[in-house]
Amino acid sequence: MTAAVEDRPLLRVDRLSVEFGGPAARLRVVDEVSFDIEAGETVGLVGESGSGKSITALSILRLVPEPPSHLAGGRVLLDGVDLTTLPRDQLPDIRGRDIAMIFQEPMSSLNPVQRIGDQVAEAILLHQKLDAASRRARVLDLLRLVGIPDPSRRIDAYPHQFSGGMRQRVMIAMALACNPRLLIADEPTTALDVTIQAQVLALLRDLKTEFGTAILLITHDLGVVAESCQRVVVMYAGRVVESGPVRAIFRNPSHPYTRALLQSIPRLDEERRRLHQIPGNVPPPGPLRAGCAFHTRCAERLLRCATDRPPMMQLGGGHQAACWLAGPMAQAPMAQAVTP
Amino acid sequence: MTGPLLSVRDLRKVFNAQAGFGRPSAGVRAVDGISFDVEPGETLALVGESGCGKSTLGRLILQLIPASGGQVMFEGVDLVHLGTRPLREMRRRMQMVFQDPFGSLSPRRSVADIVAEPIDSFGLAPSRKARREMVADLLHQVGLPSSVMDRYPRQFSGGQRQRIGIARAIAAGPSFIVADEPVSALDVSVQAQVINLMQDLQESRGLTYLFIAHDLAVVRHIATRVAVMYLGRIVEIGPKARVYAAPHHPYTQALLSAAPNPDPDIPKRQIILTGDVPSPSNAPSGCAFHTRCPIAQARCRMEAPELRPVGGGHQAACHFATDHPIPVPS
Repeated sequence: MTAAVEDRPLLRVDRLSVEFGGPAARLRVVDEVSFDIEAGETVGLVGESGSGKSITALSILRLVPEPPSHLAGGRVLLDGVDLTTLPRDQLPDIRGRDIAMIFQEPMSSLNPVQRIGDQVAEAILLHQKLDAASRRARVLDLLRLVGIPDPSRRIDAYPHQFSGGMRQRVMIAMALACNPRLLIADEPTTALDVTIQAQVLALLRDLKTEFGTAILLITHDLGVVAESCQRVVVMYAGRVVESGPVRAIFRNPSHPYTRALLQSIPRLDEERRRLHQIPGNVPPPGPLRAGCAFHTRCAERLLRCATDRPPMMQLGGGHQAACWLAGPMAQAPMAQAVTP
Repeated sequence: MTGPLLSVRDLRKVFNAQAGFGRPSAGVRAVDGISFDVEPGETLALVGESGCGKSTLGRLILQLIPASGGQVMFEGVDLVHLGTRPLREMRRRMQMVFQDPFGSLSPRRSVADIVAEPIDSFGLAPSRKARREMVADLLHQVGLPSSVMDRYPRQFSGGQRQRIGIARAIAAGPSFIVADEPVSALDVSVQAQVINLMQDLQESRGLTYLFIAHDLAVVRHIATRVAVMYLGRIVEIGPKARVYAAPHHPYTQALLSAAPNPDPDIPKRQIILTGDVPSPSNAPSGCAFHTRCPIAQARCRMEAPELRPVGGGHQAACHFATDHPIPVPS
């Protein structure tokens, strides 16, 4: 027990599967997703719309309504405690205190008729025993920390008096109110202008350095990932197709989807005559699929890709890809697969 | 060269905000004296953050909203002072592509009716059969099978909808298209498909684009020239290669520096601007950027800088324009 405890990640998502709908039409939107988050690190969860990245994140805190969804398998371990089997009345203790979450559109997450300061204070009220005066002082500290100018005046303002960037700062202040060990940020800068996005990303980096908060950053923007994350998890059609250290993913992408994605984005620093196109569209959610989820659009597919689900191939240094063509072991069995 | 396809001169748009709720009536100068040319066959990209007036400018050029002053010369004709009927005729030559082409359309109209809208309003099809053939040909040009003709918008993905929106825009054979954030709502793999399609059509049909966007990487890929807007004015304009390699206005420098680059090995030499974009209803005096500018001086608060040439067809509106990037304030 002792040795295992030492190596335990802060959060382990272990073969998590989430389905929607009844037995008649069952849609698997998260399919055996696994990844770890170590204390103090920033992990990027990337994918296009419909990849299941947001449902994965929401499922960690069991924020997806059940029904229509249900857990179809797997575990979510926070410090070794399985959140999926925790009694529902214990979840509020975890939310906000251990794990906090911020969303893309801060306006819809804030109460329009409640003062900013009272909303930030609510999280403190739920988890910490402080009198009104110290609570207000703590709120002022938090607003100052996230860079809201003139906090003693702004504390009594309403959300509509704030710009988009300032509202996202308020959300971050609320999330930080109880010093969570993990911050889940779902597209936190997608609705913001690029100069404001730079401010918010810098703020998240500072918080990580100062308080050691681990961050799960959900985004579709590979630029944001390259800039902010130590490790990356790439999702496609509900599955993890590749994960690893950020440099390995960008320098040596080993799943054809990751490669195609990187080639299809226009670059700031180089001229591309024509953008690489991935043919077709992301498949709509469906029942549990055989084979590799990407095989219908993959330029490198083998016959077995339609029928055999590729396992995670270990590529060294924590880099792994779910592709029959990835990895040093792939060569021999692959050759057999091509010739029917 | 026969001269520019489009010449915009001192174009202005003032929105009169309603007084009320403790707010005095005030004019919002959304577009504040803008001048530029667009050459035939080029793509001029208009970049800037939300509220800078780039979408308003696009709509003003097509006269979808009336201008408060200035000129829009299209093929030598001033659209601002043109009567309703001749303006309608000119609309055959200029079209618009929106971020979500179906956002403003009835979900009960078929794809054929949507694409054929310009064909119908200019009476370009002599018969029902000819109309169907024209629609089929347009769909083919944007990479869709003609079998989608009798289907309805909600049955299509974002990328397919944008293809349909583009088919509609080219239906009447325009020479000029204003594309307002045409790929912003699309996933990256689909975005690449639509960008490639727009470039193919530009080549095959000799189109000229005004491409409105906020994504600097997309703009770098598609533009011939780039104009950067801030609070209703163009602060920098020039050939793409020059603007990206040697931005002269401190706002352009900050914008380029803030854009995340999909490469973990590129050092982050970020100029992070402080504060938010000021409200256009209460624009700062002098140079509108001075409240956030790392090199602002007393003169910037008083005197609005005009665009001035910095070489190679490249202009910047800054009293202290320089191609030396501003040192990062620590």
